[in-house]
Amino acid sequence: MSHEYVPEIATDREGNEYEVQGWQDDFYGGKLGFWLFMFTEVMMFGAMFLTLAYYNTLHPQDFIEASASLNRLLGGTNTVILLISALTMGLGLLKMRAGDIKGAKLMIWATIILALLFLGIKAVEWTAEYNHGVFLGLDAMQPGNEHSMPFGKILFFGMYFTMTGLHGFHIIIGIGLMLWLMKRINSEKVTPDHHILYWNIALYWDIVHLIWVFVFPYYYMIGGGDIVGGIAHGH
Amino acid sequence: MDTNTTIDYQVERKRYYKVLVGLLLLTAVTFVQPYIFHAGTFTAQMFIAVIKAWLIVMYYMHLKGEKLIGTMALFSLSLVFVFFVIVIGVDVANFQFGAESHITAAAEHTAGAAHAATPAHH
Amino acid sequence: MSKSYFDETHCAIGHPKSTFMQWMLTVDHKRIGLMYAAVMFFFFFIAVSTAFLMRLELFAPGQQFIDGDTFNQAFTLHGVIMIFLFIVPGIPAIFGNIVMPLMIGAKDVSFPRLNWFTFWLYILGCIVAVSSLWVGDGFADTGWTFYAPYSLTTGTNVIFTLVAAFILGMASILTGLNFLVTIHRLRAPGMTFFKMPLFVWGIYATAWIQLLATPVVGITLILAIMEKYFGIGIFDPSKGGDPVLFEHLFWIYSHPAVYLMILPAFGIMSEIIPTFSRREIFGYRTIALSSASIAGIGYLVWGHHLYTSGMADIAKTIFSFLTFFVAIPTGIKFYDWIATMYKGKIVLSPPMLWALGTIVTFAIGGLTGVTIAMIGVDIHLQDTYYSVAHFHYAMLGGVVFLLFAGMHYWFPLVTGKMYNEGRAKIAFWVLFVGFNILWFPMFIAGYLGMPRRYFDYLPEFTIYHQWSFFGAVIFISGLVFMFYVLIQGWRKGEPSGTNPWHATTLEWHMPTSPPPLENHSKVPYVDFEPYEYHHGEPVVKFDYETMRRID
Repeated sequence: MSHEYVPEIATDREGNEYEVQGWQDDFYGGKLGFWLFMFTEVMMFGAMFLTLAYYNTLHPQDFIEASASLNRLLGGTNTVILLISALTMGLGLLKMRAGDIKGAKLMIWATIILALLFLGIKAVEWTAEYNHGVFLGLDAMQPGNEHSMPFGKILFFGMYFTMTGLHGFHIIIGIGLMLWLMKRINSEKVTPDHHILYWNIALYWDIVHLIWVFVFPYYYMIGGGDIVGGIAHGH
Repeated sequence: MDTNTTIDYQVERKRYYKVLVGLLLLTAVTFVQPYIFHAGTFTAQMFIAVIKAWLIVMYYMHLKGEKLIGTMALFSLSLVFVFFVIVIGVDVANFQFGAESHITAAAEHTAGAAHAATPAHH
Repeated sequence: MSKSYFDETHCAIGHPKSTFMQWMLTVDHKRIGLMYAAVMFFFFFIAVSTAFLMRLELFAPGQQFIDGDTFNQAFTLHGVIMIFLFIVPGIPAIFGNIVMPLMIGAKDVSFPRLNWFTFWLYILGCIVAVSSLWVGDGFADTGWTFYAPYSLTTGTNVIFTLVAAFILGMASILTGLNFLVTIHRLRAPGMTFFKMPLFVWGIYATAWIQLLATPVVGITLILAIMEKYFGIGIFDPSKGGDPVLFEHLFWIYSHPAVYLMILPAFGIMSEIIPTFSRREIFGYRTIALSSASIAGIGYLVWGHHLYTSGMADIAKTIFSFLTFFVAIPTGIKFYDWIATMYKGKIVLSPPMLWALGTIVTFAIGGLTGVTIAMIGVDIHLQDTYYSVAHFHYAMLGGVVFLLFAGMHYWFPLVTGKMYNEGRAKIAFWVLFVGFNILWFPMFIAGYLGMPRRYFDYLPEFTIYHQWSFFGAVIFISGLVFMFYVLIQGWRKGEPSGTNPWHATTLEWHMPTSPPPLENHSKVPYVDFEPYEYHHGEPVVKFDYETMRRID
């Protein structure tokens, strides 16, 4: 139905004609709408970073020590994986716009595989942390027992599991969106001439990556290098 | 404004790869920074992250050249920044009750909640 | 017989034949707005009844028929319904949907199916919120503000309300998103931003608050759920968590939320005043930009809810200054409206009565807000009946009164009929008088020390509670009578014609009354200002078949 839309014409007093922008077939509108949605994600994760910075300010040393205890190798590998997946996603969109539908689908599959790899490594990290006794509900994160961590570390890990968990949730949604995109391409609802859905899903994947660009250094890297002293606050 | 029908595939493709290389380099810098520069890790890390974010937003997300959306993005980011300045910079940074509060470092070392009565906060 | 939007519609899924399914699946912004209105007023009356129950309990000191715990649940229910189910969706959900696209010459919003989905998301949120009444320990007893740490430890169903508020927040965000894209993309050719009616400016500024502020409370609710069920520590002092952080995060949304409530209402005022003064509005540009500045500055004042919670002194000072500052654009609007009426030909129809009444009540609401923006004063008046009176004068006497004004103004547009104007005026006076008797004594009681959310009180406050109860009886009678007048108008009123008020804005230039499904017969070219009057009559006239100007 949307492919047959014919825009209306408005005429002014001199007889000049103007094409009326309808809600149908509005590529820019679709793009704008999705950017607005992404701003809500920025506000959401921004508020979580605010919470993190709040307790970082109250417990600077605990945060550095907790950060140093995270597995930088796994975290760093995930950073690279997500980075490459952003490339594959973008290349897929480019191929679709250029008419190479087969190439586009290949790129989507590549992105999905990289996303699953990311989730797998995250699972390994969480399992390792669980085995070290650091997980939601375990003794280390409760107050007043012999394994209790100091306040700053409890708060660090509370936010760590919350934020990486929510981020992982967004990756799962992303995988779902990509599978749905495949379906729409196969049923020719998404084509080189009508690809707003692909555009927006690529934007979604970019913002998922963007969030990780800040999550990784704030959690994994602030305890890097010299643990004792020498770490200035950037406020 | 309608679908971008004319695209220069090779130019766009090269751009994607150039940005990728930039991002990978910056990621490498992220890793080595604490060992080369011992001080200012937090600031340096956030600074690198901001540059990476700028590259992603401008090129991967095609924000370069988008005036309206760019302005909106700037407004939203400024708002988040202001929240940080006020809550972290003005409020928590000037935390007045560090000595008596249960949640700050001083109280942690006075083993548990051994205060007889919580002092009236104001 | 030409068809109106009641006779035919577009649906999200398929082409249902039954009228019921056509309403359930409609994507038409006009029908969606009406459905929001029906559901919202249903919950409004539940919340009013809850309030009446509280007033009844508070008629005399000591327990009458509700115990303290139930009373806590009652004011929580009242607050949650009034704020999340009624006043936040509020004017945008009803008139933003019905009228805004008509005002800009559009055929619908930018994403009609999203609009349909958003309505049902709202319904889901309502169901989740109210269902907690019958589950476990009953409705939450934390107050609608859910402050940690009590909200984390109480056994009542806080989780239901948190989830409901999150879902309703999502609906608010999606509405704002839809309206933002609509206003940017679908304005008629020639209609620049500074040719838009001021109601659209109000909706636009509101949409920015809906979009950017709501996610903050959304994540706060999720973090509260994470704290309550997974013990992440951020709001739990026994793990180093700071309840003041919860207050910061909560009010970063909830303060802009009140601007989200009042900005569309001010937009309605800006429509009614020129129409019933029969002249162009004074200071169009200033009013438009003041809406934008209220939205912008409004993001920065939330700390005035935290004066007594333990913030740093320097933070309190900055918030106090910014709070005074944000009052200025509102003041500008008031002066512009009064200047519009000066030398105008005032027509005291019911919409104008409501608008003028609101100028009085909101002025009181706004000014009393400024008094408690002072830190020293707020130390004494925080959490007393003074605050309660302040925000009811602002929200009920401001937002809801203007919602009523909008209902009386756009009634002929939506229904094609006219209500009995004489009776509508009587309803206004009953409500106006009842309102002031109900709420004004509370300023005094609060000043003298009566705390809010208390189910019992010292005998010296009895007289104020009794006056309030008396006012409540009058007010509720007025409400019932007002709705009776409007419903009778819809059932049995005279046909109104397309422009009974002889207004200028595009929603009154419909080919039929009520409007057809596809709105204007043709999208006009807009080469005129929104409020062009000459000697008390509209300048711009249209041929309604071609939408070409014939003046």
